[in-house]
Amino acid sequence: MARLRQGYGGQVLFLARHEWRVMRANAIVRLVVAVFGIALVGSTMLGMARAERERTTLADYENRQGALPFRTPASRLGADAVANERGWLAMLPPAPLAHLAIGQGDVYPNYIKVTARSLDALVTGDQIEHPLSVASGQFDVAFVILFLYPLLIFAVSFDLTAGERDRGTLRMVLSQPVTLRQVVAGKMIVRVALLLVPAIVLPFATQFAGAPQYAAGARWERMLLWSIAVIAYASVWHGLALVVNARGLKAPANALVLAGLWLLFVVVGPSAVNLLIATRYPMPSRVEAAVQARAATQEATVQGSRELGQFLQDHPTSGNVGREGMRQFALLQAQRDQRVADRLQSVEATFNEQLKKQQHLASWLSVLSPTMIAQGVLLDVAGTSTYRYEYFRHEASKFQRQWRAYFEPRVLDAATITSQEYVDAPDFRFREEDDTVMRDRILLPIALLTGFALLLWWAGFRRYARYQL
Amino acid sequence: MTVAVKDATEIWRDGRFRWAAGLLILLIVAAVAGGVHNQSEIARQHIDAQQAERDVWLDKGDMNPHAAAHYGAFVFKPVQPLSAIDPGLDPYVGVFVFLEAHKQQLARHRPIEDATPTRRLGQLTPASAALVLLPLLVVSLTFSSFAGERDQGTLRPLLAMGISRRALLAGKALGAMLPLAAIILPAAVIGGVIVWWNTPADPEAPIAARAAAMAVVYLAHTLIWIGAGLAVSARAKSQGTALVVLLALWFVNAFVAPPMAMGAAKWLDPSPSAIEFAASIQDEKDTWPSWDARVESVMTRFLEGEFDSTMAPANIEVTALLESEADETALYNRRFDELFTQFARQAQIFERIGAFAPTLAARTLSMAFAGTDEAHDRQFSAAASAYRSQMLTTLNGELAASGRFNTFDYTRGRDLWEKVPPFDYDVPSAGWALSSRAWSATVLAAWLIAVSLLAAWSVASMRVE
Repeated sequence: MARLRQGYGGQVLFLARHEWRVMRANAIVRLVVAVFGIALVGSTMLGMARAERERTTLADYENRQGALPFRTPASRLGADAVANERGWLAMLPPAPLAHLAIGQGDVYPNYIKVTARSLDALVTGDQIEHPLSVASGQFDVAFVILFLYPLLIFAVSFDLTAGERDRGTLRMVLSQPVTLRQVVAGKMIVRVALLLVPAIVLPFATQFAGAPQYAAGARWERMLLWSIAVIAYASVWHGLALVVNARGLKAPANALVLAGLWLLFVVVGPSAVNLLIATRYPMPSRVEAAVQARAATQEATVQGSRELGQFLQDHPTSGNVGREGMRQFALLQAQRDQRVADRLQSVEATFNEQLKKQQHLASWLSVLSPTMIAQGVLLDVAGTSTYRYEYFRHEASKFQRQWRAYFEPRVLDAATITSQEYVDAPDFRFREEDDTVMRDRILLPIALLTGFALLLWWAGFRRYARYQL
Repeated sequence: MTVAVKDATEIWRDGRFRWAAGLLILLIVAAVAGGVHNQSEIARQHIDAQQAERDVWLDKGDMNPHAAAHYGAFVFKPVQPLSAIDPGLDPYVGVFVFLEAHKQQLARHRPIEDATPTRRLGQLTPASAALVLLPLLVVSLTFSSFAGERDQGTLRPLLAMGISRRALLAGKALGAMLPLAAIILPAAVIGGVIVWWNTPADPEAPIAARAAAMAVVYLAHTLIWIGAGLAVSARAKSQGTALVVLLALWFVNAFVAPPMAMGAAKWLDPSPSAIEFAASIQDEKDTWPSWDARVESVMTRFLEGEFDSTMAPANIEVTALLESEADETALYNRRFDELFTQFARQAQIFERIGAFAPTLAARTLSMAFAGTDEAHDRQFSAAASAYRSQMLTTLNGELAASGRFNTFDYTRGRDLWEKVPPFDYDVPSAGWALSSRAWSATVLAAWLIAVSLLAAWSVASMRVE
C-alpha cells in the first residue's frame, strides 16, 4: 500500500484513488458508464443530424427568398401580389445548442410568413410534427441528463458505505489515521467524476468531432452555462444519495429508497404538478377565445363583405374597373382588415394577458422538483425554450410593421413594383436576443439547484458523524 | 394457495408496501378525479362553442353565398368521455378547424402550445398510472418471489415439501396479485364512482364497450408484467440482479421506447416541416396560369360554345373564380391527404415497434379505445373536411342554381344558411378502434402468452440453490 499523503485534502485524494481502482473493477459500474456513454454519444449524434437538416432546409429557403420574383429586370409585379401573396418568410435559424435539446422546437414553427395585411399579423402557423412524436417526447441529450443521469447516479451510489460496513472492512480502513468523512468524501469524488466527466465532455467532444463549424463564438459561453446547469443538477442527486446513505440502512434498502426518490422527483412529481396545473390553474380556453373573437369581429366582417360586394356589383368585370377602381377596392379591403384586426387584437390581448398570468403561476410550482427546474434551465440555455420562440415572434412582428409601412401605400395605390423597389424593401435577418437576458433568467433556478445541493451535501456529511459502524 | 396467502400476508405486513400502495391509490384517484374534471370542463366548452358558432352562422344576415363561404365556419373537436382516463394525443392536436372557401387548414391551437414547457415532462393520468406506475409496483412485488427464497435458502425446503413447481408458480403469481387487487379494486371503485357521477355530456357516445376494452388492456398489461417479474426472478442469479433487470426493462418500456420508436418512424419516413409543407403548396400554385390567363381561357371556351350562349360577360369571371377555387381545393386536399397518409404510416411504424415493447402496444391500444389516438384524429379531420365540401357545395350550388349566375349582386339569408346542417360527428365504434389497432392487440395477446410460457419454463428449469 502506498504511503498516506499529508494533510486533510491529500488523504481524501489518496482515498479517492483507492476507490477509483475498486470501482474500475466493478461490473455494474462498468455497465453504468457504458450505458451512459452510449446514450450521450447516440443522442448527441441524432441531435446533430436533426439540427443539420434544419439548418440546410432553412438555408435553402433563404436562398430561394433571395432570388428576385421578376422574370426580367424590367418587368413589374402588382404590389398586392408581392407584399401579400408572396410576402416574406421570416425564418428562425436553429438554436445555438439545438442538437442538445429539441425542447419546444417540435411545437413552435421556425418561420412566420409576413405580409402587409393587418389581419395576417395576428396569425402564426404551427410546426408540423406528428402529434404522437410530440407526445412521446424526444431522445435528446436533455432527456439523458434529466431522466437517465439521476438513475445512474443512484446505481453507483446506493452502496456508498453500507456494504463495507456490513463486511467489516470499513472498520479496518478507519483503523488507519483517516476519518469517516474523509473516506466518504473520497468515495463521493470518484462517483461524481465518474459520471460528470462523460456527461459534460461527451456531448461536446462528439459535436466537435462531427461538425467543427460549431466551434464558433458565443456557443462556448452557452456550453459553459449548460455544463454549469448539469453540474448543479447532478450535485442535487449526489447530495440526495449521500443523505440516504448517511442514514445507515442496508444497501438494498438504500437502493429502494433512492429508486423511490427518483420516481417521486422525476416521474410522479412533475406529472402530478402538471395535473395540478391543468386542474387548478388551467390555461384560458382557446375555444372560448375563438368564439369571442368571432362575435367581436362579426359586425366588421359582415359590413366589410357587404361593402366589397357592393363594389363588385358596381364593377361587374375587372376589365372596366380601372386604376381608380382598383385603388378603391384595395382601400375597402384594407379598411375591413383593419377593423377586424382591431377587434381581434383586444380579444387576443386579454387572452394573452390571462395566459401569461397562468403560466407564471404554474411556473412557480416547478420548484417542487429539481428535474422541472433543470429542464427549464437546459432548454433556455440550448435556445429551444418558449422564450426564444416568443422573442422570434416579437422580432417578426416588428419586421411586419416595417414591411407594411413600405408596401401598404403601394398596395392602396394599386401600384406595380419594380425590381429596384423590391430590392429596397426591408428584409428580415434574425438577431439573437442578448445573452444577458437569458443569463438573468437562469440565474435564480441555478442558484436554487446549487442551494439544494449544498444543503443536501452539508446534511449528508453532518449525518455521517453519527454513522453506526 | 398457502404460498399465495403467505406471500400476500408478508407483503401486506411490509410497511413500505402499505406506503407505496396508499400513495398509488391516492395518485390513481387524483388522476381520475383530475381527468374527469378537466375532460368535462373542456367538453362543455366545446359544446357551448359549437352552439354559439351555429347561432353566429345562422344570424349573420343577408350576404352573397360565396361571401358566406368566405365567412366560413368553425368546427370544434368533440371531446371523448374516455379522454378522462387517457387523454392520449388530445393535448397535441388542434382543438378546432376553420372551414372556408379556397383554403383548407390544419386544426389549430394545440393545447401544448399554451402550456408551460414543464408540461412536456408528462401529465399524471389514469392511463399513465396504469401503464407506468403500476408495472413498477408489480416489479417491486415480484422481483424477490423466487430469487428471494433462493437467497435465503428457503426455496429447497419449500420444494421438498412436495409442492409442484407449477403450483408454486401459481401460488407466487396469486401472491403478487392479491396485494395488487387491494390497490386496483378500491382505486377502480372510487374512479368508477367519480366517472359515473360526471355522466358524459353526450349520452349516445359508445362508452361502455370502449371502457371495458380499456380495462382488458390494462389487465393484460399488468399480467404481462407479473409474468415477466416471476420469470426474471426465477432465472436471476440473485434478487438484486432480478431487480436491476426488471427496472431496466421498465425504464426502457416506459421512457426510452416511445421516443425511440417515433424517432425511427420519422427517420424511415420523414415528414415535411411546416416551412417545407407551405413552400411545396406555394410552388405548385406558382405554376398555375395567372388570373387573366384563366379568364381568357374561359372566354375562349365560351366562344367555342362550351357554355350556354345566354351567359353574361360577368359570368366569365365567375366561372373562372369557381374553376380556380376547385383547383385550390383539389391541391389542398391532395397535400393534406399526403401529409395525413404519411402521419398514418409513421404511426404504423411506431405501432409495429410495439412488438418489442409491450407497454408501447398497451399505450397504443389504450389511446385507441379512449378515442384519442392519431387514427381518431384523422377520422375527425376527414369528417370536418367532408363537412367543408358539403358546405361549399350547398353555397356554390345555390349560386349556380340561381340561374342569375352573376354572383355579386345576389344575396341570400337565413333560409340558405339553414340548409347547411350543423356539424355532427359520430365517434366510430369500439370495434373500429380495435380493427384499426389490430396489430397492437395481437402483440399484447402474444406477449401475454409468451410471458406465461416463459414464466412456466423459467420456474420449471430454475436452480434451487
